[in-house]
Amino acid sequence: MIGLEHYLILSAIIFSIGLYGLMTLNNGIRLMMCIELMLNAAIINLVAFSAYSHDITGQVFALFVIALAAAEAAIGLAIMLAIYRIRDDIELNEINILRW
Amino acid sequence: MNIGDFAFLIPLLPALAFVITLFFGKRLYSGGALIPIGAIGASFIISLLITINILQNPDQVIHQSVHWFAIFNLGILIDPLAAVMLTMVSFVSLLIHIYAIGYMEHDPAKPRYFAETSLFTAAMLGVVLSDNILQMFIFWELVGLCSYLLIGFWYQKPSAAAAAKKAFLTTRVGDVMFLAGIIILFASLFQAFHGEVPEGVYLLQFSEMFNHIDALAAMNATILGMEVSHLTIIALLFFGGAIGKSGQFPLHVWLPDAMEGPTTVSALIHAATMVTAGVYLVARTFPMFLSAPDALIIVAYLGGFTALFAATMGLVMNDIKRVLAYSTVSQLGYMVLGLGMGAVVGLEAIGVSMFHLINHAFFKALLFLCAGSVIHAIGTQDMRQMGGLLKAMPITAGTMLVASLALAGFGIPGTSIGTSGFFSKDAIIETAFVFGEYSHDWIPYIFAILAALLTSIYIFRLFFMTFTGKSRNNAKAHEAPSIMTVPLLILAVFSLVFGALTLKPFIAFMERTFDNNVISLNIEHLATLGNYDLVLEHGPEPLFILWLPVIVAVAGLLISYLLYYKQVIDVSKVVSRENPVYKLLYNRYYQHKIFTELLATRIVYELISLSADYFDRKFIDTIVDGIGKITMSAGNFMRKIQTGVVQNYVAAVVAGVGLLIILFRLIVEVI
Repeated sequence: MIGLEHYLILSAIIFSIGLYGLMTLNNGIRLMMCIELMLNAAIINLVAFSAYSHDITGQVFALFVIALAAAEAAIGLAIMLAIYRIRDDIELNEINILRW
Repeated sequence: MNIGDFAFLIPLLPALAFVITLFFGKRLYSGGALIPIGAIGASFIISLLITINILQNPDQVIHQSVHWFAIFNLGILIDPLAAVMLTMVSFVSLLIHIYAIGYMEHDPAKPRYFAETSLFTAAMLGVVLSDNILQMFIFWELVGLCSYLLIGFWYQKPSAAAAAKKAFLTTRVGDVMFLAGIIILFASLFQAFHGEVPEGVYLLQFSEMFNHIDALAAMNATILGMEVSHLTIIALLFFGGAIGKSGQFPLHVWLPDAMEGPTTVSALIHAATMVTAGVYLVARTFPMFLSAPDALIIVAYLGGFTALFAATMGLVMNDIKRVLAYSTVSQLGYMVLGLGMGAVVGLEAIGVSMFHLINHAFFKALLFLCAGSVIHAIGTQDMRQMGGLLKAMPITAGTMLVASLALAGFGIPGTSIGTSGFFSKDAIIETAFVFGEYSHDWIPYIFAILAALLTSIYIFRLFFMTFTGKSRNNAKAHEAPSIMTVPLLILAVFSLVFGALTLKPFIAFMERTFDNNVISLNIEHLATLGNYDLVLEHGPEPLFILWLPVIVAVAGLLISYLLYYKQVIDVSKVVSRENPVYKLLYNRYYQHKIFTELLATRIVYELISLSADYFDRKFIDTIVDGIGKITMSAGNFMRKIQTGVVQNYVAAVVAGVGLLIILFRLIVEVI
């Protein structure tokens, strides 16, 4: 029998992977994939709690988060593409001309 | 359908004409002159019909009012005072517009000219028929704006631009006083209502103001250790507005300079209509002045002094329009003097004053238009280059003579033979005599008589220098076209007969202004508020007093005749820079030096402005710049935090969340 805690553990593992990636990687695309991972971990949480407490609200909320993630991915990828066209690479830490 | 229902059209038609002429004037005949003429003609007809209506039935004045916002309204009040003023303004404006077709014939900016004069007429009519002081103030400012625009009509000339600016700024001093008066009036009335104004009561309506004169007179304020009632303060501030608009001393300096505009503008705005708005304002709020005799005395003295002061300067000017400008200031002084006599004769004061106002509008507009005709013909304004124009311009010369006789006040006392100026000016001088008789204060009377002598001298000096003697100019003078001479003739007829026909009924009609279905006041009660009694009946004055104004007028004519026609003594000996009196007059009492160089440059600019500038730069700027510098250096330091490395931000976020969790735990445990 798969209980609530299994879902929470899965979600925590995915979230940690995403966070680890965010803190160590440098490539823009990879960073975005890490953010997606963290968002999806949160969605798993939402759905799990929703099913556990028989409340539909969490699932509705999950749909919203998915839509939001899609929008974020679209904009983020567009920015990455634009940067790639100008600089031929997407190492985010190299993009610092507006810094002091 | 009552004719009064069309009253709103009186200012509206010229305002519409303004819009049409401004945008489409170029494509129309003569710069679109016919549209304002038609509109003002219609306004004139409506005004005339309303006046006839009120004349038959002075109790039933026209009063319409609509809610505007809060406790203010927009409205129309046409009582005897407003009715005659409306008729005069629209009539004179109509004639001057017709004349301007000829006068402005060669000007490329005709549409702008006719649009602006049309807007001016609309605004002036609006001033006259306002039923509350706020609305009046709005139109009052609008006529000021039009005056500014029209004085600077030839804005390419630096002197015209400067004159326009001077006129605008000088009258602004008066307007600020007027506005301050309205604010104090409003605050005092609000207090009189204890802050609760019932529905449908509009505080700034004239009727409402007059109903609360008792309350206003009871409120006192201490200024410079003197106990002054609010009523006196308000009346004096209103009079301050009148000083600015009507060119009374010391704010008269703009009016002679205003002659930089086209002559028709001088005739319309700076002789017949706008400058009389100040007199109209005082007449309109006259019940307040009646209860504030201190204010009335100041009105009388200032008017009398201005009448004499301006006349002395009129004696020595060589520019034909400037002579007329000083003459206007002087005659306005007469009107104000007449108003000031209210402390003895009551409402008769506005009667004589308004009578002179109307007559003055006719003959002064005529004088200006004649001068315009002369300028149009020979292309100069300097009287030293004129002369001998009598043969070349008989109609202009004849009408000018009529106007001069009217201004000087020729007539036979005791009969109804005389020019209109004779009846109206004599009425004021006789009222001044009555004033002297009952208050034993003869100063206004002496001012008035002396000014009458000087008036006669300067106007005939102008006439002789312009029309007689040898021509001192090469230009081939010619009579003006009939579109210009016909208005001259019409005005000349009015200058000749209007006074004789209307004197007694006019003054009686004016006295009905404050006794009708809208405003009904107990004048004697108002006088008691000011602690004095009115002289209701004054018998016929001594024969000598009746004849004296005519005697001084004839004396003035003789002096001018001998000096400038016969030239019994060589005038150029008197007129030299060595003669201290001439020098003083020619330099206009050094007003320019006093106002511009001493007051403006030395005191305001060098003393006040420069020290304020120093304080601003050294003290305030240090504080303001210091705050800016601190912020900048703090920002410079703090921005190092923004490394631009994604991992640092993530670490910061994670650390922040961790800190929050710890804090949350701590708080939960403590609770």
